[in-house]
Amino acid sequence: MSEPTERLWTGRAVAHMDMDAFFAAVEQLDDPELRGKAVIVGGDPTKRGVVSTCSYEARAFGVRSAMPSAQAKRLCPDAVWVTSHFGRYGEMSRAVRAILETYTPHVEPTSIDEAYLDITPGTTGEHPLSIARRIQAEVDTLGLSCSIGLGSCKTIAKIASDHKKPHGITVVWPGEEAEFLAALPVRVLPGVGARTATQLARVGIRRLGELAALDDATARDFLSRYGPDLTARARGIDPRPVHYERDPKSVSNEHTFATDVRERAEVERALSGLVSHVAERLRKSGLAARTFTVKLRYADFTTPTIRRTVDVATDLPEEMLPVAIELLRQSWSPGAGLRLIGFGTSGFEETAVQLDLFGGDKAADERPKRKALAEGVDAVKARFGDGAISRGISSRHEGPAGPDTQPS
Amino acid sequence: MKVSIARAELLETLSIVSKGLSSRTTLPILSGVLLSAQNNELGLNSTDLEISIKTASKARTEEAGSVVVPGKLITDIVRSLPEAAVSIETVQGGATISCGQSSFTVKTLSAEDFPKFPDVVPANTITLPADVFAGVVHQVSRAVSRDETRPILTGVLVVVEEGILRMVATDSYRLCVREVPVEGITGTLEAVVPGRAIEDVARLAASSETVKIGVSENQVIFSFGSTTFISRRIEGAFPNYRQLIPKDQQTRITLGRQEFMEAVKRVSLMAQHSAPLRLKVAVEDRLLTLSAQTQDIGEAVESLEIEVTGEDVEMAFNHAYLMDGISVSEGDKIALEIVSPLKPGVLKNETGEEFTYLLMPVRLG
Repeated sequence: MSEPTERLWTGRAVAHMDMDAFFAAVEQLDDPELRGKAVIVGGDPTKRGVVSTCSYEARAFGVRSAMPSAQAKRLCPDAVWVTSHFGRYGEMSRAVRAILETYTPHVEPTSIDEAYLDITPGTTGEHPLSIARRIQAEVDTLGLSCSIGLGSCKTIAKIASDHKKPHGITVVWPGEEAEFLAALPVRVLPGVGARTATQLARVGIRRLGELAALDDATARDFLSRYGPDLTARARGIDPRPVHYERDPKSVSNEHTFATDVRERAEVERALSGLVSHVAERLRKSGLAARTFTVKLRYADFTTPTIRRTVDVATDLPEEMLPVAIELLRQSWSPGAGLRLIGFGTSGFEETAVQLDLFGGDKAADERPKRKALAEGVDAVKARFGDGAISRGISSRHEGPAGPDTQPS
Repeated sequence: MKVSIARAELLETLSIVSKGLSSRTTLPILSGVLLSAQNNELGLNSTDLEISIKTASKARTEEAGSVVVPGKLITDIVRSLPEAAVSIETVQGGATISCGQSSFTVKTLSAEDFPKFPDVVPANTITLPADVFAGVVHQVSRAVSRDETRPILTGVLVVVEEGILRMVATDSYRLCVREVPVEGITGTLEAVVPGRAIEDVARLAASSETVKIGVSENQVIFSFGSTTFISRRIEGAFPNYRQLIPKDQQTRITLGRQEFMEAVKRVSLMAQHSAPLRLKVAVEDRLLTLSAQTQDIGEAVESLEIEVTGEDVEMAFNHAYLMDGISVSEGDKIALEIVSPLKPGVLKNETGEEFTYLLMPVRLG
């Protein structure tokens, strides 16, 4: 890309950074043998796993993320299959985030390998394009690769980051949004899924330019109440701010099982790992939560969430886990296959404990000790890494202990 | 059975026995009221097996007999009737209730299946003025626990000794003790009575002159007007509350009760989701500062002039518990005694009456 940085950027600048084949790239980085080969990270093709990520070499054969492993195996029989090393991906993800945060505090990670940045000129003292180039170069030095989209809003940045992959920087200059979007298929617009695309195709709308031309009333007719929002975004209008985690509304993590899990012990161990990890994130942010949510996804993709609000806010896993387990038991019975489990907290406030007259409330008495223990564990992890120490219940579990989970 | 009775009296007796209706659907007869007509009197009984209520009213009995009618339904029917004589007559498998031009027929159950009214012989009986009894119940009942996992705390400790009536209740977060000397009472008595039952008695007895209390091994019996109200006693030892009451204090403040109550009410608007209410006593400035904040909502601060002795202190309470204590105390002034931020605070009347409301603080951070 030889875009000139002399060209003046006016108004808001949002960058979307998307790691290129992130999990596969980390595997290739850690194992030089894998470099230049078709690498697929994901579930065993002999079972019912799915492809988590694959290297660009594998993509050449048509392998895609979320594709059933068996299909990927047919498309690319010579691919090297590796199992996920989530702890390692979490580490690299944090390294990347640390780079982003040197440019602006306004970083909104949307997943382990994607983030939005607000780099509006004036807030950074640097041209947005120059920042994008420097970020890409710094990510290169980690041995990884990213693509960046730069535009005046999140929608543009997100679409642009996918425009030239891998290792691309796509700039959509302010004022040129409509022109950039017009010829693109509607499917590239975040929020337009297969169903919406089919609905639109039925009325002859295949390109974003055609969607952008709809008036609000017609859009509402075709696409229900979300219509006007979609057409606005198809015109490059998207006022959503970049949210950065200074005052989060909720902190949650979820874990997708490689194969559906039916055993109580395994599900509860996974939940316990999620609870510990969420509690740790709360403590890092100095927050305590009162509302706990357990999210489940069954084999049929129904995704119930159950929540409960307790009297006193907490940041300790011991106090969250019994509630989480109870919520789980209310809505799931062993035997029903689970694809995913999540645990979330919200309703943040300062921790306050109602004391008991009879002093028999061990929970209140032991709280300072448990808090000290939790903080000690945090400190050990900060110094020696997430694998250095873990709770009894979450040990021996290769699933969601520590950062083996996707922040959601 | 055939009986006729004034609508107002029937409604009054029905509303008394309604307190004893069971909500359990497994035993349908317990959701019924047993009506018994004899000697120009209509008797009404109800029970949920924990409490049993019996009352009666004057009536014109044309044919003696008894029957069990659905309790809630008959109360609703009688409430809807105009003020006139109501006649109740059993018919095949049911009963007809008529008043003026209205007539209802309801299905009934057999009187023989209704549980027998407990035969309680109290060791001794103590008679108290109904208004004194109701007043004390009102003051302590806020502190009764609703948590069934510690059954003893769901009751009120009722003690009569040395001419004094004393009631104590605690939910382990606060404790309320109220003592009243009552002229002319002799004898002693001690029982833990379920909070709901004693509150019902206090409410129902309000229109009577006196309440008689007697205890047997397992039950406590209250009599007022033509009503007998029997409740089971809660077994077990009530906590030794005396040792919980601090003997001394670091700080004592006194202020207008109404003023304190209103300020707490205002500031509590910003103590949502049981966020704590903070109290800060500045001795030199003679000021009490109340404050509360809820994340994402906002905060409130209010300062009150106080009389104070002792040291500066800062602590936090659950605002609802504090509010309960202030609102059930009496008199123009109220005192708050504080030992330390992690020890119970004590609210006292400035009228010299024996009223003690302990509340445990909230520990911050």
